[in-house]
Amino acid sequence: METYRYVNIFETKGLEYLLLAAFLVLFVFLVRYLSRADHKS
Amino acid sequence: MTTMPIAPAPGRLPLLRFLRSELKPKGPLLTPFNVISIPVILLGIGVLIQRFIYGLGSITNLTQEHPWGLGIGFDVVTGVALAGGAYTLAFAVYVMRLEKYHPIIRATVLNGLLAYIFYAGALVLDLGRPWNVINPVIGNSFGYNSVLFQVAWSFLLYMLVEMVELSPAFAEWLGWKRARRILASLALGAVIIGVTLSTLHQAGLGALFLMAKPKIHPLWYTEFIPILFFVSSIFGGLSMVILEGTLTHRLFGKQTNPSKHGSFDDLMLGLGKGTAIALFVYYFFKLLIFLHERQWDLLATGWGAWYLVEVVGFVLVPCVMFAYAVRHRRPGLLRLAAAAALVGLLLNRLNISIIAFNWQLAERYFPSWQEFIVTLTVLFTEVWVFRWIVLRLPILREAHELPNPRPADQ
Repeated sequence: METYRYVNIFETKGLEYLLLAAFLVLFVFLVRYLSRADHKS
Repeated sequence: MTTMPIAPAPGRLPLLRFLRSELKPKGPLLTPFNVISIPVILLGIGVLIQRFIYGLGSITNLTQEHPWGLGIGFDVVTGVALAGGAYTLAFAVYVMRLEKYHPIIRATVLNGLLAYIFYAGALVLDLGRPWNVINPVIGNSFGYNSVLFQVAWSFLLYMLVEMVELSPAFAEWLGWKRARRILASLALGAVIIGVTLSTLHQAGLGALFLMAKPKIHPLWYTEFIPILFFVSSIFGGLSMVILEGTLTHRLFGKQTNPSKHGSFDDLMLGLGKGTAIALFVYYFFKLLIFLHERQWDLLATGWGAWYLVEVVGFVLVPCVMFAYAVRHRRPGLLRLAAAAALVGLLLNRLNISIIAFNWQLAERYFPSWQEFIVTLTVLFTEVWVFRWIVLRLPILREAHELPNPRPADQ
């Protein structure tokens, strides 16, 4: 019988959660990066 | 019994005279664009006559296996996304109150309206039985369950909404001050309805491909196509506004008042900021879907390399270029990024509708020269109409800056 392995990052969709977390962090950085252009001008 | 001659109603004759004077050419006829576009349009009209007499098969390479060609893949599926700048900018100006973009809103909405009129027109050219296009509207086999039903109604209503958004400019052109006041008061409502309709039909165009799962390559097929189509229409539309705005600014720059409108580059850099964010969101959507579908092994194929060219070369790279251009105030790089993002959008739409469609079949589709001519004819005719309107109506300039007196002023 095929068992479900909770440690496998692919089966648990852990990779997708990590990607989402990375997106949120990078999104904040991107907005801050773009906003600084305003202060300079 | 004798009858008295009826005198013309006051104000009516001047209006007709005004319209006649407006029909006269406003610029030189021998320009490079005219020299190129007139022969192409004439040839295109000939090809279209042949199409309507002998059918689609006489001018296209379409087959039962490849029923959708350049006419749908480029004109409709890509063209409608490129017109997405109209609803994005209208939302920014009228709902978010970003007034600095007000000087370019009319030109953008006009372009959106013309794009919809001409691309919906191109859809009619590409239908085997074009007279059936009216069926979803008049109730002859409505087809409630079809995505096309929703797309058809959204297209139709959105064109009406864009006409309402643009109608104050027509009222100003004709000197109808009272009508202008009434029409301008409808703008905010029209924009809100327009944004809702755009969300629906931009996503709806993607939803058309949901039923083609076995035919589209797995790297491009996903149940999230509607969301991807919607998000890509935002960055595609904004990129188009940047390029088109630059061209319009160069060609019709005399019509704008720089002291009032501020720096044109500032406007474009502001749009670039929004485009960078939309591209960033779109890239992560693509990445998330790729991981979700577990398509690692497909990357090692030729299709995988082509997919990477699209996603990395024309989504991630333009995103970085936009961010750099905004941060370091490089308008030249911004325009290059806009062009690259447009190529990315074009590649994505063509991959889904033509290139990776029926990818497993030996027989491939390549458009005939007549299909290219018809596409160019649609494009050039749209530019002619856009130029005609911009040279006469208060699109880039204020109504009082128009050269000729208005009919109502006489």
